[in-house]
Amino acid sequence: MTDAMIEFRDVSKRYDSLLANDHLSLTIRRGELMTLLGPSGCGKTTALRCLTGYVRPDEGRVFIDGTDITDLPTHQRELGMVFQNFALFPHMTVQDNVGFPLMIRNLGKAERDERVAQALRLVRLEGYGAHYPRQLSGGQQQRVGLARALVYRPKVLLLDEPLSNLDAKLREEMRFEIKEVVTRLRITAVYVTHDQGEALALSDRVAIMNRGRLEQVGTPEEIYEHPQSRFVAEFIGLSNFLEGHVQSADRDTMVVSIGGVQVAAPALPNAGLGQRVLLFLRPNEVELLRPDVPGGTNVFDAHVEKATYLGDTIDYRLTFGQGLALRVQTDAQRRFGQGTEVRIRLPRIRCWAITSG
Amino acid sequence: MTLARAYLRAMWDAKLVLAFTLLLSLTMFILAPLLMIGLRSVGKGWFGRLWLPPQLTLDWYRWAIEVGNIPEVMKNTLIIGGIAVAVSTAIGIFAGWAFGRRQLPGKEVLMAIVLLPRMIPPITYGLGVAKIFYTLQLVDTYLGVAMAHVSVCAPYAILVLSATFEGLDERVLEAAGVCGANTIKRFFYVVLPLIMPGILASMIFSFTNSYNEFTLTLLTYGPHTVTLPVRTYLAVGDGYWEITSAMAMLMVVPSLVILTLIQRRAKPEKLVGGFKGV
Amino acid sequence: MTGLWRTHSSKLITLFLLLPALAGFFGLFFYPMLLTLILSFRPEGQTLGWTLENYTRFLSDPDGHWVMLLTFILALGATALSVLLSVPLALILREKGRGHRFYRLMVLIPLVVPGLIGALGLLLFWGPRGWFNLFLMQFVPFVNRPVAVDYTIHGLIMFYVWLYFPYTCITTLSSLESLDRSIEEAGEVSGATRWQVLRYIVLPLITPGILAGSVLTFMAAFGAFSVPLIAGGNYRPLAVEIYKQIAVPIPARWSAASAIAIVMGALQVIFLSLYMRFVRRAGGARGTGDLR
Repeated sequence: MTDAMIEFRDVSKRYDSLLANDHLSLTIRRGELMTLLGPSGCGKTTALRCLTGYVRPDEGRVFIDGTDITDLPTHQRELGMVFQNFALFPHMTVQDNVGFPLMIRNLGKAERDERVAQALRLVRLEGYGAHYPRQLSGGQQQRVGLARALVYRPKVLLLDEPLSNLDAKLREEMRFEIKEVVTRLRITAVYVTHDQGEALALSDRVAIMNRGRLEQVGTPEEIYEHPQSRFVAEFIGLSNFLEGHVQSADRDTMVVSIGGVQVAAPALPNAGLGQRVLLFLRPNEVELLRPDVPGGTNVFDAHVEKATYLGDTIDYRLTFGQGLALRVQTDAQRRFGQGTEVRIRLPRIRCWAITSG
Repeated sequence: MTLARAYLRAMWDAKLVLAFTLLLSLTMFILAPLLMIGLRSVGKGWFGRLWLPPQLTLDWYRWAIEVGNIPEVMKNTLIIGGIAVAVSTAIGIFAGWAFGRRQLPGKEVLMAIVLLPRMIPPITYGLGVAKIFYTLQLVDTYLGVAMAHVSVCAPYAILVLSATFEGLDERVLEAAGVCGANTIKRFFYVVLPLIMPGILASMIFSFTNSYNEFTLTLLTYGPHTVTLPVRTYLAVGDGYWEITSAMAMLMVVPSLVILTLIQRRAKPEKLVGGFKGV
Repeated sequence: MTGLWRTHSSKLITLFLLLPALAGFFGLFFYPMLLTLILSFRPEGQTLGWTLENYTRFLSDPDGHWVMLLTFILALGATALSVLLSVPLALILREKGRGHRFYRLMVLIPLVVPGLIGALGLLLFWGPRGWFNLFLMQFVPFVNRPVAVDYTIHGLIMFYVWLYFPYTCITTLSSLESLDRSIEEAGEVSGATRWQVLRYIVLPLITPGILAGSVLTFMAAFGAFSVPLIAGGNYRPLAVEIYKQIAVPIPARWSAASAIAIVMGALQVIFLSLYMRFVRRAGGARGTGDLR
């Protein structure tokens, strides 16, 4: 039994002139919650639909638990799916909604009722069996959808932006519930969203997609702290980019010449001299110091162009070196006014190099 | 699996072929009768077991015009249609304005009442109309028949025009006022152009309804007010299919115009029932 | 007086605007119906007096029974066949395959063609020299003589279907298209085949729409006049019977005709209220997912 539960092998799908999935290859491990994250149109929903069978890929194969399911019709794939707009059957009670997959599988009434009760308990909706979907709130409806998706114990659970139709407060609550259920059942889950907060909070791994291609796959930490491309860095959180070229390098440090200053950064394994690199730094990783602080590696003079008070943080726009722009966020304890001169320190370890591109 | 189930299963699997067959049969089912009318109206010597007429001719149309009195019948039809359209449109504009722009309690109920004459077959109230007309000596008059037509034309006119007026954006009028236009200027430069398409649509619908109206005309007509539908009906009684077909072809023209208009614009659901989604 | 105007001017203007419509409605519909009602209780040919004999004569006469039965048979038959035709058709048309616009147009044609013309064309096509019989005689073995369709009951039912099935089809199609597709997707992912999705999910949800449409077809078929008039042969459904009462006997039997008309009108009103109820239920066939 391989570790890989779901595998996309070189999947491509084209709609007229649009390449929704471009040679997508991705493996999702047994028991993990993988999020497909990206802006709208990036192909994440198409990839999900290749899994359900609603979309047939033009090229490539899709595997679930080692079996090639690319040509298998939807109703034979044994997947569970939770929809953005809940997709509950409006003419059936909650009991019948959740029991529907069991009825299709010809389970006897007694066993059906038992399993439905179990599923409803799982999503904390015991006792709601006789209600109709229109009598339930959005959050409750989504939980019914979750129960229905899990009642027949599928191998894989798919979630297509399940929280987008809920209001913000409910979203956080439901996030925990979904994670809890998925973890408890140890089920493999594929989660599609455009909300990076959700992705970081829920996932074991995140696959960032852009224009039909995979940009990066990794844990939330890897994605956030070590993005491998400019797109990923920009998509998650706020970023600063400094572009320069390698001046010198040894085993663990390299010096990058950027706009008149030298910045020390962790060495890139294959960086040659003169190679263009993009250094990336989060605004809250830059240290803001008083101008009289002694200098050192990666300490530079900077000028405060703009300071915006945001309550718990202050957002600064600085310039340093030869017109290099930097965005810095610090807590509100120390404040530097607009137009003042300051010193900044870019911690060597936090400067992450992305090879240009 | 029983034979019946196997059969049904085979049908389901052959979905695509069946669907195609259904669509094709439907097209033939719908179009063939109309095609036959067309061919009959121009066919010469079409007897016995022939698929198509051996010769084409315009004799039947000529006969209809010269002997069948078609020019006078058309005159009647158009005059009556004109009166019916004028009256219905006037009713429609006033009532449409009320429905579309003014506060009206129980609007839905009122609209349902207005559409009632279209939901009930005209013969039910046509009897009463005929009786009244006999007393008022409106039988066999242009005005009389036209007024009878109004009962079927006005409801649709009101429907269309109330939608038109409802769609008239108050803010456009306000903007015109702010730009300096007085009431009269606003009416001619802003209101009129905006409602003109709706008025035209309602006039076309009303005219077609009057042109095609048979039942009420049958109850209120006389020798001076024979309209095309009635004339065609009488021709059926005479037994000459060819002449009847020629007249029927003349009758179909406005319907085809309506069809092309509908296809391009309105939602068919609005034509049906008239209650849901009014 | 001006005070009265000021407080009520808005309502008065609205009333004034509605006046032509109300006058038309009253004079051309409501009052005639009232007159028909009154006439139905008058002894034949008289202007005074009340009697029930028009109703009793019609309702007890076996001929009268036959007329009503015939009308119901024709209408029910046409409605049933319309549903059988419309549901698969709607399911096909909603997929928006190639040429679906053309077929939707086909469905609209019987609605815009006047009944008289439709009936004429149908008589020609299904008649002894029409294409249908030509086809049968040339291509189907054992058929050497034309099959009678015109002027028969089954023929008339089919003519009604031609004319009135679009009501059912359009309403059904509209109901189908308002269904949220993701509900069907959910059904399939849950393990239901397309057929099971159709049977357990789609059909129950569009049933109110189908019913609403079929009531419309039924009402149109029940009240059909011009078609049975020229294509009914010796068969006289209600509307034709009414007309025959005033067109054939001399002097015209207005009271008898009125009684039959009232009976028919009453039945139509009942059907109409059924329709309203179905329409209201059809509005509830939406998927969930709206934030409340």
